[in-house]
Amino acid sequence: MKRKVVSVMLSAVMAATLAVGCGSSSNDSSSGSSADSSTDSSASTETSADSSADTTAAADADTAATVNSYAGEINFMHFSTSEEVAGKNGGADAFRTAIAQWEEANPDITLKQDILANDDYKTQIATKAAADDLPDVFLLQGMNTISWSNQGLILDLSEYITGSPYASAYNMDYLVPFTTGGKYYAFPALTGGTCCVVIYDSQMWSDIGYDAFPTTWADVEAAAAAFASSDQYADVDTIAFGNGGQWQMNSDFISCLAYQYTGTDWYADIIAGGGNSKFTDDAFVAALTETQRLFKDTSIFNSNFNSVTNEDAREYFIAGDAAAFIGGNWDWSYIYDNLKTNDPDKFANMKVAVLPKVADGTYTDNFQNIGLGYGVAISSKVASDPDKLAACVDLAQYLTGPAFATYVGANYALGGFCSADVDLSAFDQQTVDFYNFSYVDNKGCEIYDSYVDGSVWSVLNTEMQEMTNGSKDPATVAADTQAAYEAYLAG
Amino acid sequence: MLQSIKPKRSVIFAYLIVPVVLFVFTVFVPLVAALIYSFTNWKGGPTKTFNGIQNYIDLFHDNVFWLSFGNNIFLVVACIIGQIGIAFILVMLINSKLVKLKGIHRTFGFFPSTISALCVGFIWSMIYDQRRGLINWALVQLGKYSSAKNAPIWLDNSAAPIMLILAIPLIWQYIGYYMVIILSAVSSIDTEVLESAEIDGASGFKRARYVVLPLIRNTLLVCMTLCIAGNMKAFDNIYAMTEGGPGYDSMVMALYGYKVSFEQSNLGYGSTISVGIFVLSLAVIGGSQFLLNYFMVDKYDRAEAKAKKIQDKQARAAYKARMAEMKGRG
Amino acid sequence: MAEMSRTKKIDTRQKIARGFGGAILNILLWIFSLTCMFPLIWMLYSSLKKKAEFNADVVSLPSMPSLDNYFSVFADKDADLIKAMFNSVRTTVLSVALIVLFSFIVGYILARVNFKLNRPLYVMFLMGMLIPIHSLLVPIYVIFNGAGMANQWYTLLFPYVAFNLPVSLFLVEGYVKGIPSALEEAAAIDGSGFSRTMFSIILPICKPILVTVAIINVFSCWNEFSFALVLISNNKDITTVPLALKNFTGQFTSDYPKMMAAMLITMAPVVILYFVFSKQIIKGMVAGAVKG
Repeated sequence: MKRKVVSVMLSAVMAATLAVGCGSSSNDSSSGSSADSSTDSSASTETSADSSADTTAAADADTAATVNSYAGEINFMHFSTSEEVAGKNGGADAFRTAIAQWEEANPDITLKQDILANDDYKTQIATKAAADDLPDVFLLQGMNTISWSNQGLILDLSEYITGSPYASAYNMDYLVPFTTGGKYYAFPALTGGTCCVVIYDSQMWSDIGYDAFPTTWADVEAAAAAFASSDQYADVDTIAFGNGGQWQMNSDFISCLAYQYTGTDWYADIIAGGGNSKFTDDAFVAALTETQRLFKDTSIFNSNFNSVTNEDAREYFIAGDAAAFIGGNWDWSYIYDNLKTNDPDKFANMKVAVLPKVADGTYTDNFQNIGLGYGVAISSKVASDPDKLAACVDLAQYLTGPAFATYVGANYALGGFCSADVDLSAFDQQTVDFYNFSYVDNKGCEIYDSYVDGSVWSVLNTEMQEMTNGSKDPATVAADTQAAYEAYLAG
Repeated sequence: MLQSIKPKRSVIFAYLIVPVVLFVFTVFVPLVAALIYSFTNWKGGPTKTFNGIQNYIDLFHDNVFWLSFGNNIFLVVACIIGQIGIAFILVMLINSKLVKLKGIHRTFGFFPSTISALCVGFIWSMIYDQRRGLINWALVQLGKYSSAKNAPIWLDNSAAPIMLILAIPLIWQYIGYYMVIILSAVSSIDTEVLESAEIDGASGFKRARYVVLPLIRNTLLVCMTLCIAGNMKAFDNIYAMTEGGPGYDSMVMALYGYKVSFEQSNLGYGSTISVGIFVLSLAVIGGSQFLLNYFMVDKYDRAEAKAKKIQDKQARAAYKARMAEMKGRG
Repeated sequence: MAEMSRTKKIDTRQKIARGFGGAILNILLWIFSLTCMFPLIWMLYSSLKKKAEFNADVVSLPSMPSLDNYFSVFADKDADLIKAMFNSVRTTVLSVALIVLFSFIVGYILARVNFKLNRPLYVMFLMGMLIPIHSLLVPIYVIFNGAGMANQWYTLLFPYVAFNLPVSLFLVEGYVKGIPSALEEAAAIDGSGFSRTMFSIILPICKPILVTVAIINVFSCWNEFSFALVLISNNKDITTVPLALKNFTGQFTSDYPKMMAAMLITMAPVVILYFVFSKQIIKGMVAGAVKG
């Protein structure tokens, strides 16, 4: 709760975009080399990363030429604060770096940046959208795509995305949250990271007889009993979790666990509003029921999970008061950075695992929910000034293009909308493990709250808190969520 | 109302025009805008569709809204007793001759109301926190619990009613605020009134009850109105500490309106909630003023009349003295 | 004099009882006062700790006090704290001056002058206290933006003055009602005009409540966040302190000592002001009103 204090946190929903921490080091080379990589559409991204300085210079000149036909102001709102950069948030670091490069290449354009912490950003952008006064360029949250495009607030960017010089390197899957009616409304931005990862201290688990993190919840329950009866860890929580902000149970838990019951098609239909999937379906209610059981009836989690945030909970893990932690990639990077700096012994034991399996699930893939929650969007008002529009599009392409991708790949082993080669040999085992967890080993699934609408998630999130406290039953939560969903579909 | 003061209308107009226009533009124009929005299903952006009184029908059937209203009423009652009551007692104590270093108590007592609500929320979250909080730290030190892990989770509506837990920081923060207001009212009572009561042999309690209380009645009424108005729109502390959770257990009306507007982007219904808060607050304040006037006037009228007579006499004398002084100077 | 002769009659047992009661009274008040000051003290020394040390024991004194948290707050690139302080001072001073002036004039007129619109105005201001600003942020933004008044240096004066005016003028109004009207009657008989009576006779008497109004409003204007976020966050040149400090959220909200350092920096100017001038402030508040 503390953190709420100042805010509601990284905010709700999706901080999915935030990133991983980093390990490595050399920021030096990045700015130069990354800038270059971008422009040549014929060259594949991979090669461009290696490209030499001279090619780059030439490329820059090209970019500058197109852009310079506009001279004036561009208002740009985002939430990559310098605090987040300082906190080794890879996405924020690369984003700020790319912005600075673009500014430098376009001296005639005054980029007026409005940088707010994520929760304030969401309040402010909602106010501006309501007042029909969006900034020229801003970060669009996936779940606002449909309503804001219906109201004509944001520009259809399909032709600029498919016609982008970097189009061949784009991972088109990431566009789904920003797509409606077959049109794309934003360039997916920042880094793609998981929203649900188990981080654990392998030493603590091996001390009670587990070589790796259990793959089923039944085993986790047994482990909880083993921890409780051990002398060494009697006071330790098995898994730390924080749902004080109410969004965590959605983004970091049910949005991953439920896939074991519903599979991926169910949610695809929810997104599309096809009417075949309902929140009251048995599969989803079963997911809620299992969630309630795990949190309310077992001793796996810290008892105060509903009154602390994920920031508090991860501190329990860092301090050794919990043997594992469930959170998103932003939590991973925070823990990584902290342990690496302050506790090398524990750092050596830091491992990641996929969410364990439920006993009564239908789908047995190793699901982890991943995506890009925010995209660079352009206000529809910009369309009246073609020169300005060209500059805004160029900015959007640059910030989500190879310059960003190579920087974030080389420094943090993270990926974005535009793919770039990542040389894993340059990273430590923890980073490689997390890279494989995120992009290689597991089946990616959608993050619930990148889609649909805040009005639905607000109901589900609030009522799940009551549900895990025991004051509401899963069927009621499902019914209320479905009612909010139907109200949303009705428009 | 005083009959002897009858300035020209133009004079009153000149004095009032700036503050009134500024106030109406900043406060009432947005409220009227909200009233208009409240009849639409505005979800943000340029399109607003008129949907009649549907939002008001929804509001009437909205359990969360009425639960929030109940929580607001709880806060009002808790804070009238906790803030104004304790503040009045403290003022009486501080005014006692036996108390040393009065200035320090006044200065320190007011301090919490100088901090922002977000800071207060942060501080009390740290006090209530289960694992690292000060309360549980003390309980563990006292041996009540083997470790903080087993100690109560204060902010989860399990150890004690969450609204009570949340009312305490609110009360704590504003005792000093009301203390200062009441102090300044008490300080305007002529010391001779109090002294003559003391000579008459009135005890501290009787003096507070029969002399001071009636004389500062207007100020107390203002304090209560402030307290009701403030708590009907309570937001910051609760936002900072629980965000209305767990579930809706500590939801209050303004926070609910904020969530509907910003989290659910349902600005039409959010506006309806704002209007609802406004109307309900008016009703509560109106009702309470009626009750307060009804009871307080009857009870204290006689005591006040007597005290006022003494004051008036002194005031006239004081005025004469001042005029004489001014003439002397001039 | 009467009291002296009475006290002589009080026997020693009563004296002891009285001393005992006094001690309890003093102790009670000290407990109250220390409770009020404790957070400041606790935040002061905790902000000198490192996060790990704080998490291990929230109460203990820092073993190795360090100002690192403060340096890192001031080093933040996005938050120009010095400029923000200047902006906050300007906004606060102007707002409070206007609030005091307006609340005195309006409060006095509403308390004393009988004219047709008196009650309607009274009710209108009263209603102003009931407006839930947090759910009205959108219409306020729409209107200010439409009028071209958002993101200006003077923007915040409007909401700060308007939303603090009702409370302030009701304090004044209640206070004026407690002043014996005989004073003004005598002045009127003496030939003093309305404006002169208001400013040269009533104003000095109202000094305690006006000081109170000023103090209360300094803090509410200094700490205000919501309006600042919605109305001026587009213009970094006019940002206020609470807005600037929001940059310290995000990833670091669990770094409590650093948060405390940031909060103490926000609070510092007004708290210092308050404690330095507390004697005068208190004196102003307690100064008897109707004195020659």
